[in-house]
Amino acid sequence: MRLKYLIMCRSLTYAQRSARALENAGITAVVAKAPQGVTNAGCAYCVKVSEKRLQDAMRVMRASGLEITKVFELNASGEITEVKL
Amino acid sequence: MIYLDSAATSLQKPLSVGKAVHRAMYTAASTGRGAHKPAMLASEIVYNCREELAWLFNVSEPDNVVFTMNATHALNIAINSLVNSGTRVLISGYEHNSVTRPLYARGAQVIVARAPLFEPEAMVDSFRKTIDSADVVIFTHVSNVFGYILPIERLAALCRERGKPFIIDAAQSAGVLPIDFAALGADFIAMPGHKGLLGPQGTGVLLCGSEGKPLMQGGSGSNSALQEMPPFLPDRLEAGTLNVCGIAGLLEGVRYVKRRGISDIFAHEVALIRRLRHKLAAYQNILQFADETGDNQSGVLSVIIRDKDSSDAAAYLGDRGICVRSGLHCAPEAHRTAGTLNSGTVRLSVSPFTTQREIDTAAQALGKFAAIH
Repeated sequence: MRLKYLIMCRSLTYAQRSARALENAGITAVVAKAPQGVTNAGCAYCVKVSEKRLQDAMRVMRASGLEITKVFELNASGEITEVKL
Repeated sequence: MIYLDSAATSLQKPLSVGKAVHRAMYTAASTGRGAHKPAMLASEIVYNCREELAWLFNVSEPDNVVFTMNATHALNIAINSLVNSGTRVLISGYEHNSVTRPLYARGAQVIVARAPLFEPEAMVDSFRKTIDSADVVIFTHVSNVFGYILPIERLAALCRERGKPFIIDAAQSAGVLPIDFAALGADFIAMPGHKGLLGPQGTGVLLCGSEGKPLMQGGSGSNSALQEMPPFLPDRLEAGTLNVCGIAGLLEGVRYVKRRGISDIFAHEVALIRRLRHKLAAYQNILQFADETGDNQSGVLSVIIRDKDSSDAAAYLGDRGICVRSGLHCAPEAHRTAGTLNSGTVRLSVSPFTTQREIDTAAQALGKFAAIH
């Protein structure tokens, strides 16, 4: 299963909290450092989820009161595009 | 060796604490500084500890659990966030230098709500009479000198009712008494990791109800392109590399406290102090500072031996392998309130691992010292 969606988080702790909420809901989520090109402010973290579970992940995060600011899609060639929410 | 100085630092820790420190030393790197395995392991350890602390103290979001070097560091951040030169700060008459010195350094106008030992009603009255003249309120949960448990729920309710921001110093109570951060509604609660939470020295925690003002600036692993500290917690207040090894140990200390239960730990410590008081009552020239009701005192007992210096008593016990502390215990304000500023006290403080036999031995040795002419 390829984890190709990056849900941006304001901090590492926030990413960990988000990943924990997703894992508790049975959604595989991995905390990762966000690609440099997607942030204006420098280092940031994100949670990676699969295409299949993106909608579920966003639903779980919203239900848990976790803010979603931006989501990016990572394609096979490594290009990153912002997903309109 | 009998260790009765847990109010300064708990020496006996669960074995898991030391093992975790050692393991982290060789496997965990720096949290928020990379995405490689050792960095992510460090991040996992730190987050797990935030989560356990958030659970233990009923903090709604682990983000609001900030790691510090110790309780003093945590208090300095809290005070720096709320107090400027000329700010009128109401404190209890039992505060530690970790509160009063930062206030003095910032040029705060300090108002002391003084009330006798072990009289919670008088304490609440004293705060009620003076609170309107204050901008900020700070009070300790438990006096580090006398083990006096202040009525913090009532003091917190008073602060909320009057709309005063407030800070609680939980240096002596974290891991020993229940603390409900959400119910108290404090702006900040500061605590050490190395006392009742049984972690290593060099660990402390600040529970944050408001954003806070950074005491230090530096790397946070987030918003690195900007020169201001990030606006969000915990990064805003955690500049520089965290003490990951210490936090790994603290995590195990907190897990121990959780497993054993705070009520069990408190009952154990109170029972030991009652036993100590009973044993020491046989010696007429040992003056105890004790709560007769037993409801307002934790696992700390201060005594004075008439016509003897408190440091001589501690040295005598130390020579016999019994570790206690003498003097002012970095809390002159508490001694001013209790009338012991000139003499200081001999303080005996217990831990979840102290035994009845150790208490009996210490009481007997102190009795022998008191009988020396």
